[in-house]
Amino acid sequence: MSSTVIPFGPQHPVLPEPLHIKLVMEDEKIVEAIPAIGYVHRGLEKLTETKEFTQNTFVVERVCGICSVMHAMAYCQGIEELMNIEIPDRAKFLRVIWAELHRMHSHLLWLGLLADAFGFESLFMQAWRNREKVMDIMEETCGSRVVISANIIGGTRRDLTKEQMVKINQVVDEIKEDLEQLEAVFLNNYTVKHRLVGRGVLTKADAIEYCTVGPMARASGLKTDLRTTGYSAYGQLDFEPVIHNDGDNYARTYVRLHEIYQSVDLVKQAIAKIPEGEHVVPVKGNPPKGDVISRVEQPRGEVLYFMRGNGTKTLDRLRLRTPTFANIPSLLKMLPGSELADVGMIILTIDPCISCTER
Amino acid sequence: MIENLVEATSDQLLAEASSCKYQNYRYVTSTCVDNGDDTIDVYYHFDKDYQMKNIKITVKKGEEIPSISKIYFSAILVENEMKELFGLNITDIAIDYGGHMLLSDEELSSPMLRQQITIEQRGGKQE
Repeated sequence: MSSTVIPFGPQHPVLPEPLHIKLVMEDEKIVEAIPAIGYVHRGLEKLTETKEFTQNTFVVERVCGICSVMHAMAYCQGIEELMNIEIPDRAKFLRVIWAELHRMHSHLLWLGLLADAFGFESLFMQAWRNREKVMDIMEETCGSRVVISANIIGGTRRDLTKEQMVKINQVVDEIKEDLEQLEAVFLNNYTVKHRLVGRGVLTKADAIEYCTVGPMARASGLKTDLRTTGYSAYGQLDFEPVIHNDGDNYARTYVRLHEIYQSVDLVKQAIAKIPEGEHVVPVKGNPPKGDVISRVEQPRGEVLYFMRGNGTKTLDRLRLRTPTFANIPSLLKMLPGSELADVGMIILTIDPCISCTER
Repeated sequence: MIENLVEATSDQLLAEASSCKYQNYRYVTSTCVDNGDDTIDVYYHFDKDYQMKNIKITVKKGEEIPSISKIYFSAILVENEMKELFGLNITDIAIDYGGHMLLSDEELSSPMLRQQITIEQRGGKQE
């Protein structure tokens, strides 16, 4: 049978960002997929070499708005390790609270996009309506909605008052309540399940082979979550990674949806356990010198920061590997054998962030 | 700092990567650092149960190094990126974009390489 090459993206209704995939088709079946990136590369790694190490916190936040808190967190943790800075306990809990709020809004955004992709406009609106509540918390506590600049080397830029924490507790409870209603549609509706169950399967063996990270890996049965290593205040909180064994679109939806509940729980635990005290310490001593690796679990999976300081105010090298970059090879495994109609959903369920990939 | 760092030569790279695969390490990513002279440090980061293993090779600019994408397929994008941004001469990448994954036809240099700059003062003196 002769094959046809169909270009998917970079502009496509299901893709919020420009990812291009060449699909080699035989009839309705995909036999090969080749990705193309590079449409919006911004050279942020190079930019960090020209900025002072204290300014880079703001550069790395702009790698991706959706996970900006975790980017800054990973960067600050690395610099703090290089400079032997011990941050206050309160700052560790504050970082966890803002990080988990970010995870919630990232997953809610993704659920909305998923609903939009299979044509449930009202479901999309409901998911994003919930997300707005998280964004309002961000604005109230940090002054902006997306890139909130909460982290700073030595701790956090801002503190939370008791009243703010009471309000956050109430809002996350509301979100949980609303999500329980949406869950019934995302996980039990016949039409939705028809688009998700058994589509885009990534087996556990393939997830290992293709070095998959984040919710994608957990949806294929891998119990991997960097938060369990206990960085920041995660070591003082009680939680287990959300796992599903089917490895299909449905499993990935299940994992992300249940991770929102998990984030609600983590935010409430952190608020209950947060100690009194300072939220930032002054940065003293010589500028960073030496190599360091810092890793953090983002909504899409593990992010790695490698930094080399040379004892001056600028870094010799800052390299970051984002989760979507790690998950694209798995996509190339999932697509062959699928039908053209499912391509959009399969790509969407890896939660692609090209902004991260082309930092 | 960087835990579990193994220094190797480019000839030993494939054997070291195969050893990691055999020991069930997950490939995380690779990092290039231009040392400012005629050498580049290339780190290969692996992970098993949250413990990292890092292999470091130091290569001369223009020196040929083998691709590990036959061992770890997920290295394809990283290796293409290093090839283009740092001008690393990586051979046999499983999917090779021929220098055009990120760079355009008009871009001839590798943008992440540090250039050796000589500052010339107005009086003709060099520093």
